[in-house]
Amino acid sequence: MTDELRLARVIDAPPDVVFEAFTSKGGQEAFYGTDDPGWIVRSECDLRVGGLWTVTFGPSPDHLYHHRGVFEIVDRPRRLVLATTEHRPDRPSFDFSVEFTFEDQDGRTVMTVIQSGFPTAELRDEHRRGVPNALARLERAIRASE
Amino acid sequence: MQHSEALDRTFFALSDPTRRSILERLARGPATIGELAEPFGLTLNGLKKHVGILETVDLVITEKVGRARECRLGPAQLEDATSWIDGYRRVWERRLDRFGAYVEERR
Repeated sequence: MTDELRLARVIDAPPDVVFEAFTSKGGQEAFYGTDDPGWIVRSECDLRVGGLWTVTFGPSPDHLYHHRGVFEIVDRPRRLVLATTEHRPDRPSFDFSVEFTFEDQDGRTVMTVIQSGFPTAELRDEHRRGVPNALARLERAIRASE
Repeated sequence: MQHSEALDRTFFALSDPTRRSILERLARGPATIGELAEPFGLTLNGLKKHVGILETVDLVITEKVGRARECRLGPAQLEDATSWIDGYRRVWERRLDRFGAYVEERR
């Protein structure tokens, strides 16, 4: 398995526009939002090295996730690196590093997200606790194929 | 082909309710053959046979600890940790998409 996650999307706007939007309240709320009615997103961002970016999001006030990130690199409008802790309502929290890059491509932006530092062993253990569910699904699949 | 044979054997190993119960029990933590045999009302030999089948497809590994043989979940995870990361990937993809659409709509 890999413990790095890397994704990219081309956004039809130049990097400075994308960077400004991403570090604005509206952009962050778009980023962490969903179309679900009642979905909560709150974001506070102190854009400087050592500054805090806290995002609270989730389907209801009693089921919220928190990302608490500390900016390690702020290279406007090219790159952001944060050390982040994710707090989850029903499971243990964990730390990861996340990097956002904004690369010019003929006036458009290739925005890349690189998340790394998954606590592999812990997640594997957490995953093992999901084994009974996986078995139930497998059992249904076996029955359906008989 | 090889992969599919391995899958067949895994499915065979999982086709028995006692063996699935053994895996569910081991998902909570390691146990000795004796500890596993008791709740199922099986003889040690009967249980060893089931564990042996699970062991051939890496669903269970066993290790001699003192006089007992300890069983734990093996490396053949039904859904390995990558599926957890796949879930994360979908989350980040959706976030990037929503954010990209937000920026493009404002232009």
